[in-house]
Amino acid sequence: MIGFATPWVLAALLSLPLLWWLLRATPPAPRRVDFPALRLLRLIPKREETPVRTPWWLLLLRLAIAALAIVALAGPVLNPTPPAPGNGPLLLVVDDGWASAHTWDAIKQAAGDAIDSASRAGRPVILLTTAPGNDGAAPRVAGPLPAGEARARVDAMAPKPWAVDRATAAKALETARDIGGAVWLSDGLTSDGSDALSEQLAKRSAIVRVPDMRNASRLLRPPPIGDAKLAAHVLRASSDGETPVTVRALAADGRILGRATTKFENGAREAVATFDMPIERRNETARLEVEGENSAGATVLLDEQWRRRPVGIVRGASSEQRLLSDVYYLERALAPFAEVRVGDLGELVQRELAVLVLPDSGALDGNELTTLTRWVEQGGLLLRFAGPKLAQGGDALLPVRLRAGDRALGGSLSWSEPMKLAPFPETSPFAGLSIPGDVAISRQVLAEPAVDLAEKSWARLADGTPLVTAASRGNGRVVLVHTSAGPEWSNLALSGLYVDLLRRIVAVSAGVAASPGTQLLAPRRALDAFARLVEPDAAAVPISASAVALARAEPRHPPGLYGPEEQTRALNLGSNEPAPAPLETVGVTRAGYETTGETRLAGAFFSTALGLLVIDALVALVLGGLLTLRRPRSAVAALALLFAFSAHAQEKPAAELASKTVLAWVRTGDPTVDRTSKAGLSALARTLMQRTAIDEADAVGIDLERDELAFHPILYWPSTAGQKPLSEAARQRVNGFLRGGGLLLIDTRDGAASPSPALRAALQGVDIPPLVQAPPDHVLSKSFYLLNGFPGRYESGPLWVDGSANDKTDGVSSVVLGGADWAAAWAEDEAGRPMFAVSPGGGRQREQASRFGVNLVMYALTGNYKADQVHVPFILQRLGQ
Amino acid sequence: MTLAGRTSRAEALAARLPPLLVEAERVAETVRQGVHGRRRVGTGESFWQFRPYTAGDARIDWRQSAKSDRVYVRETEWEAAQTVYLWRDPSESMAWTAESSRPTKRMRAELLSLALAALLLKGGERVALPGSSAVGGRGALERLGRSLLTDSAAMPSHPLPRHSSLVLIGDFLDPLDDLAASLQVQAARGIGGAIVQLLDPAEVSLPWEGRVRFHGLEGEGDELVPRVGAVRDAYQDAFVAQTQALERTARAAGFAIVRHTTDKPPQDALLALHAAMRGERA
Repeated sequence: MIGFATPWVLAALLSLPLLWWLLRATPPAPRRVDFPALRLLRLIPKREETPVRTPWWLLLLRLAIAALAIVALAGPVLNPTPPAPGNGPLLLVVDDGWASAHTWDAIKQAAGDAIDSASRAGRPVILLTTAPGNDGAAPRVAGPLPAGEARARVDAMAPKPWAVDRATAAKALETARDIGGAVWLSDGLTSDGSDALSEQLAKRSAIVRVPDMRNASRLLRPPPIGDAKLAAHVLRASSDGETPVTVRALAADGRILGRATTKFENGAREAVATFDMPIERRNETARLEVEGENSAGATVLLDEQWRRRPVGIVRGASSEQRLLSDVYYLERALAPFAEVRVGDLGELVQRELAVLVLPDSGALDGNELTTLTRWVEQGGLLLRFAGPKLAQGGDALLPVRLRAGDRALGGSLSWSEPMKLAPFPETSPFAGLSIPGDVAISRQVLAEPAVDLAEKSWARLADGTPLVTAASRGNGRVVLVHTSAGPEWSNLALSGLYVDLLRRIVAVSAGVAASPGTQLLAPRRALDAFARLVEPDAAAVPISASAVALARAEPRHPPGLYGPEEQTRALNLGSNEPAPAPLETVGVTRAGYETTGETRLAGAFFSTALGLLVIDALVALVLGGLLTLRRPRSAVAALALLFAFSAHAQEKPAAELASKTVLAWVRTGDPTVDRTSKAGLSALARTLMQRTAIDEADAVGIDLERDELAFHPILYWPSTAGQKPLSEAARQRVNGFLRGGGLLLIDTRDGAASPSPALRAALQGVDIPPLVQAPPDHVLSKSFYLLNGFPGRYESGPLWVDGSANDKTDGVSSVVLGGADWAAAWAEDEAGRPMFAVSPGGGRQREQASRFGVNLVMYALTGNYKADQVHVPFILQRLGQ
Repeated sequence: MTLAGRTSRAEALAARLPPLLVEAERVAETVRQGVHGRRRVGTGESFWQFRPYTAGDARIDWRQSAKSDRVYVRETEWEAAQTVYLWRDPSESMAWTAESSRPTKRMRAELLSLALAALLLKGGERVALPGSSAVGGRGALERLGRSLLTDSAAMPSHPLPRHSSLVLIGDFLDPLDDLAASLQVQAARGIGGAIVQLLDPAEVSLPWEGRVRFHGLEGEGDELVPRVGAVRDAYQDAFVAQTQALERTARAAGFAIVRHTTDKPPQDALLALHAAMRGERA
C-alpha cells in the first residue's frame, strides 16, 4: 500500500510524452576530431543512414529516470498511516507515565507517524501528555502547533517515573476547543481518571492505541522486609496465558548476583520469584529488576532495611582469658556476614537486633527473663549456648527442658569416646551442610525426653541426643546449642562447621524493620523511567523518613534513594502503585501499535534514479565514442565497482586483514563515538608501527552483527547509551572471539568503569569471566613499557581483568574493562594533533595513555609472556656480577 | 605578417633547431654504424679491390701482379659527390598527431630529413633544399636545418640539376596528379630518388568509435560520421587504393617508396631510406 505526501507532484508525469518527443528529436552530440585524411572519408560511398535518433532503449531509460524523480518528489510512503480521524486540528494524547517506558519506542514512533499523517493533511497538532511534568506541572494542552514543532516536542518527550494523571488531563480537555479528531497513545493500563479521559475523547472521534497486553508493563513490588528469602512479586495487567518471567538481583556496582525465574500461571496476575542466595549475596543486593523490562516500575531498589541482620552478643564475665572466652569465638565466626555488637544484655535489648547470642549464662533472673521474653516474642531470635553455668539449672527461656548436670563423653573416668555429629535431618535449617570428620563433642547438656523433642532438634549427636534445639516463641524463636560456644566442651568452635551453623541460624532470623524516624531525607539518586539512576531533578524535595514507605512516586518525590549514605531509604515506585489492570475505554476506536510503521520510499526512488542516471552517462560516453568498449571487462568492472560502492563500503578482504595486525573497534552507530574510535585506533596502529616490531598495523571498524572477528587480536568496544542488545549470532561470534584468544577491551568512557544498563544488556550472554581489579603488577603494566597506571582520557580509574585462574588461556584475561576513554586519548586528527583534551591533562598523561595502548596490544599478542620474561635480563646481569 | 611577427616566428623555429639537430645526428649515428662506405667500384681515390685481369682492361697493377703468376687490375671505390635534394610537405595537415604522446608528422619529417642529411654529408654528399644552392662540408647541417624549418616551398616542379637525387617526405593523401607531374619532369632528366610516405597510425586504422564529426585541417570543412565503426572497412579500402596509386606513380618515375608511421622509431625509416638511396644510385 503506497501513499504520497504531495500527490499533486505526480501531475508532472503528464509531461513525460513531451519529454519523449524532445529526447527523440535531439540526438546525442557528436564528438569533434581533427583529421587530415578527410578526403578519403569523403570518397566512401554514402550509405543510407538511419535517421540520427536516440535509440529507443536509451529513451526509455531517460524517461524512467524522469518518472522516478517525479515519483520521488511526490514523497511515496509505503504502508502510510491511515489518516487520523476527523478534520481540523489533531489532538495527540500521549501517556508518558512509568508504564510507557517499556513500549516507549513504539509510542514515539506512533506519535511521529500521527504527526506526519496530520502534516500531510495540513492539520495542526495539539499535544497533551498525561503525566505531570518533571517540575510537577499538571498535564495541560499545548497547541495547536505546526507539525514541525509538534515533532520537535515529541522528540524531546521522555516517560516519567511516576503514574499518569488522567483525571487532570481530562479536566484540561474539557475546556479545549477546536479539536477535529484525537489519537490517544496509551500505555494500556487503567488508572484514576481513565474513564473521564476516554469520555472526553469519545466526544472527539478518537482512536486509542493500546499495546499488546502480553507486552504491557509489569510492576515489581518490593519483597517483604524480614523474609528469610528475597521474594519478588511481579504483577501483570492481563491474566491470560502462561508467561515465564525472570527477576534478577544486582549489586550496587551492577554485577548480577542472582536470577530467579518463575511464571505467571494462566489466569494469575501475580507471580512470585524467590531468590535462593547465600546471606552475603543477599546483603549485597542493591536492586531487583524484571529482566528485559527497563522501567522504573519493574525495578526495586533495596536499602538497608532488607539487609540488616545485626547480631548482639551478651558479654559474660570480663575476667576470662581471651582464647577461652566464648565471646571471642562467636565474634570471629559471626563477623564475616553479620553486623556484630557486643554488650550487656540490658543495653543490647534496647537496640535493633535480629539475633541475640547468649553464651553460657546460667539461669536468667526474673528481670532479665521478662525483658528477653518480650524481645523474643516481638520477633527476635535468641541463640543460647550451654556451659558449666547452664548445666547448673535451666530457666523458662529454653526450647526444651534440661536435665540438671551435664554429660561428659570421653573423660578419664568414662568408657565413651567424644561423640560425633549425626547427619542433619532434612527438615533442619542446617540440611545440606557437610560435617567434618574431626568434629567431636565431649560435653553437652541433655534435654528431658519429650514428645516434640525430635521436631525441635535441628542437630543431633550420633547417639541421637540433641545438639541444637529450637522452639518458636511468639513471633520469635529460641535456639539452644547444647554445648559451649568456645572450645571448652567441644572442638566445634574450632571447625568451619561452626561458622556455617551460625550463618544458617542468622539467616532464619527475621530482618529488622528499622524504626522509621521523622527526620527529613534529601533525594540522593533518582530513578528515571528507564530505571537508570540519575541526579534528582530540582523539583524533588526531601521526604520524611516515616513517609517513605507510604509515599507514591510523584514529581516531588521521584523513586530513588533518599538520605545520606549510611541511612539510605529507597522509595520504590512499586510499593504503592495500584496493581496494573487493562485499560477500559468506551466510545473510542481501539487499535494496537503494530499497524503503524510507515516507510518512506523517496530515498530509494531517488537513488534508483541516480543509478540509472549513471548508467545513462556511461551509455552516452560509449555512444559518443569517449569510452570504447573494446575492453568490456573494464567497463563491467567499473559498473561492479559502482554498485559495490552504492551497496556498502565493504570491508577489506580477509587476506589483507589476516596479513597484518588489524585492531578492531566496534561500530556503535553513534557517529561521534565511531569517529573517535576510528581516529584513536588508527593512531594507536601508527604508534605500534613506529615503536614496536609490528611492521604493519591497521584499524578497522567492526559491525558485531555482520563482521568476522577472527582476524583481530583486539576488539575495542566503547559503550554508548544507545547500545543495542546483541543478536544471538553476534553473541556467539563474540564468545568465539573470546574463546579463540581474542582480547576484548570494553570502555565505559565514564572514568569510573561502571557499565551502563544498555551495555549490561548487550553483554548479557557474553562469556564475561568474573572480573577483578587489575593489581599494580599485572602483566598489562609491563608487557612493553613499564607502567604505573592505565590512564586514558581520565587519569585514574579501576581497570578490571579476568579474575579466575583460567587454565585454557594461561591466565591471560580475555576481557579488559575500564572507563578511561582510551580512544579519545589516542585519537589524532589528520595533522597528527590530539583531538581531545585529557584530564587532568598534560603530555605525560597522553604519552602514558598511548603506552598503555601499546602494552595492551602486546598483551593481546604475547599473553603472559612478559609476566616472567621482563626481568630476565636484569636477573642475568645480576647473576653475572 | 609584419616584420616583427616574422622575426619572432623565425626565432621560435630556431629554438627548435639545436635539439632537432642533436636528435638528427643521434639517429644518423645509429644508422651510420651499420653502413660503411659506398662499397662499390667507382671513380674515387681510395683503394677498393684487386680484380683478375680480363681482356680489355687498361690499367694493370704491376706491383700486385708481380707477387703471383696472375695479372691483377686495381680498382678504386666509387666516390662521386652527388647532390641530394630534400623536400618535406609543408602543408597544415602535416602538423597533426592523433595522440599527444606521438610527434606530429611534420616533426618526424623534419627529423628524418635532417638525419638523412647528416648521414649524406658525412658520406661526402651535398645536400640541398629545392630552390636553394647545395651545401656540403662542415656546418652544412646547421645551415640546412635552419632553412628546412622555415621552408614552405611547394613540391619542385622544375627539373633539378643533373646527377642529383630527390627525396620527398609527406603524407601523400591528396590527389596524386601534382606528384605525378613533378616526378615525370624529374624522371625525364634521369633524376631518381625516394618517396617517404609518413603517416600517423590513426590515419591508417581510423581508431575512433561512435558518432564523430571529422574536421579537415586544410579548410576542407567537416564530415559527420554517425558510426565510425561502420565505415572503417570502407575507409581502409580507400586508404589502400591511395597507397597503391602512390606506389604506381613512384615506380613509373623510378622512385623508391618508403612507408613510415610516427609510432615507429625513426631509425627504421632512415635505414630503409638510406638503402633505397643506395639502390637508386647503383
